[in-house]
Amino acid sequence: MTNTTMKKTMSAKTNAIIYKVVCYTLLVLFAIILIFPYAFMISKSLMTPEEAISPKTVLFPASPQWANYSEILKDSGYGKAFLHTFEVIVFNSIAVPLSATFVAFGFARFKFVGKNFLFMFMLSTMMLPAVVTQISLYVLYSKINWLNTLLPLTIPNLTGGGAIYIFLARSFIQSLPKDIDDAAKIDGAGPIRRYAAITLPLLKPVLIYIVINVFNSAWGDYYGPLIWKLDENFPDTLAYKVFYLITNGAVGNDKTNIRMAAGVIMSIVPAVLFFIFQKQLIEGVAMDGLKG
Amino acid sequence: MYKKKSLSFGERAKKFWRDNREGWMFVLPLVIGLGVFTAYPMIQSLVYSFHRYKGTEYYFNGWTNYIHILTKNRDFWGVVGNTCFYAFVSVPIVLVSSYLIATLVNQKVKGVGIFRVIYYLPCVIPGVVGGLLWKDIFSQNGIFNQFLALFGGHCDFFESGNKFVAIPSIFLMNMWSIGGGMILWLSAFKSIPNQLYEAAEIDGAGKVKCFFNITIPMSAPMIFFNVVTMLIGTLQYNGTLTFAPNGEGKDGSLFMYAVLIYEKAFQELSFGYASALAWILLVFVLALTGLLFFLRRFTYSGEDN
Repeated sequence: MTNTTMKKTMSAKTNAIIYKVVCYTLLVLFAIILIFPYAFMISKSLMTPEEAISPKTVLFPASPQWANYSEILKDSGYGKAFLHTFEVIVFNSIAVPLSATFVAFGFARFKFVGKNFLFMFMLSTMMLPAVVTQISLYVLYSKINWLNTLLPLTIPNLTGGGAIYIFLARSFIQSLPKDIDDAAKIDGAGPIRRYAAITLPLLKPVLIYIVINVFNSAWGDYYGPLIWKLDENFPDTLAYKVFYLITNGAVGNDKTNIRMAAGVIMSIVPAVLFFIFQKQLIEGVAMDGLKG
Repeated sequence: MYKKKSLSFGERAKKFWRDNREGWMFVLPLVIGLGVFTAYPMIQSLVYSFHRYKGTEYYFNGWTNYIHILTKNRDFWGVVGNTCFYAFVSVPIVLVSSYLIATLVNQKVKGVGIFRVIYYLPCVIPGVVGGLLWKDIFSQNGIFNQFLALFGGHCDFFESGNKFVAIPSIFLMNMWSIGGGMILWLSAFKSIPNQLYEAAEIDGAGKVKCFFNITIPMSAPMIFFNVVTMLIGTLQYNGTLTFAPNGEGKDGSLFMYAVLIYEKAFQELSFGYASALAWILLVFVLALTGLLFFLRRFTYSGEDN
């Protein structure tokens, strides 16, 4: 090896090392920045009320106050709110994936009059600001006594749960070989059976993606309960309760630690779901994005 | 062929029904949903917008709501300014910063996958929790201000009466959920064939040239779609309800359009007036979408998918 080539490989090596160091430094730096607020919330949820609102920020509690969490868990209001959220989630997690894939199956596997129009109409609703329909729905719900109940948060989801899920499911069904469907047809399977027994089991990735997203949006939805609520007879959901806690200062301004504990509880569930299903979720987002 | 022509009306109707019924059956839930929960309420709110409809009071009053909004409403133009400032500045910021992060996690170093997961994590945390957390971080004695105090600085963030301080605080907060944009860029990168970069490298093109001549045009269709949906989403932003003082900010510095509609419709029960506000938003969104599609046809010359 001549002197110059040695120098070249040496500098290539140092370059590679510098590149790696820069990459990891940036990666770790951003990770710390993004994790810090969350870690700070966990730390604050374990503080005494004095530590949590101290004008000189305390980073770590002197001794972790686990009682903050038991105070929330003991509060029957939270227990009830959790049950209501659970009701909404169970209903929607069954209704949305089934109705969305049902409709998507129709779009993917059948020819019928009005198909293109219906599809374009469905897609165009994605551009429609929700407030345009919410006002008349409020009037409608008040006439049929749906206000102050969980019905507005659940029943509309029987119709597919939104254009994105139907679009996603349709693309997925179209990517499946049509032969399976045709073979079943020749064997005499009716359309419902071809959907439920043949196609549905193949849609697992889409179903998981839809269920997790439905779960997360129902879990974090405070705005729905906020507009459909009339008075204290409303079955509060968890997200609404947390929203109420943070916006009504009078209800416990001194209880920053308790609010943070509620926040931690509220974010643990979606975080765990995300860690379990990260592959499907991230791929689903990618599918979502590729429709352009 | 001849047989077809001789079909009677009844037979043709039967055939028509037979050909379509299965498809119709499957899309029936969607048809009902679009009818009951989209088309009907949309038309209804257009009708309401030409009425005085407050509580139980209900009578036709023509364009009065619209004229009042555009000429007499004290909040309207301020709210429009806030919302447009938020939407049109935050979307480019998110696009550029999430592109940079996506480039970083697209480097081929060991363990980079773990960082992708960490970066995306804040996106799954419910918005109401984010509001709770950042309201605390940005508070007067909050940790961010203690940090700034080390350099002798101080900022009111969300509590500022100046919208050019209060709204950029939302941009800063949104950096936390940059993982969403990152994932979109990553999937755009993935869909670009590597040969393009290899060929460009052989031809002696630098990184910057590759970015402008390969990355941007190849991811344009997807990025375009996301810009449109992001803009529509940000114009309806009501997250300020969770962290702005009174939901409006001091002197209305964080007062957003969707919050104004919320107050008119669901707090004052002025359904007619709120419907007019909602329809102004809808018309604006439609015009903006139309403009974006027009500009895209005008500038984008790549192959369409």
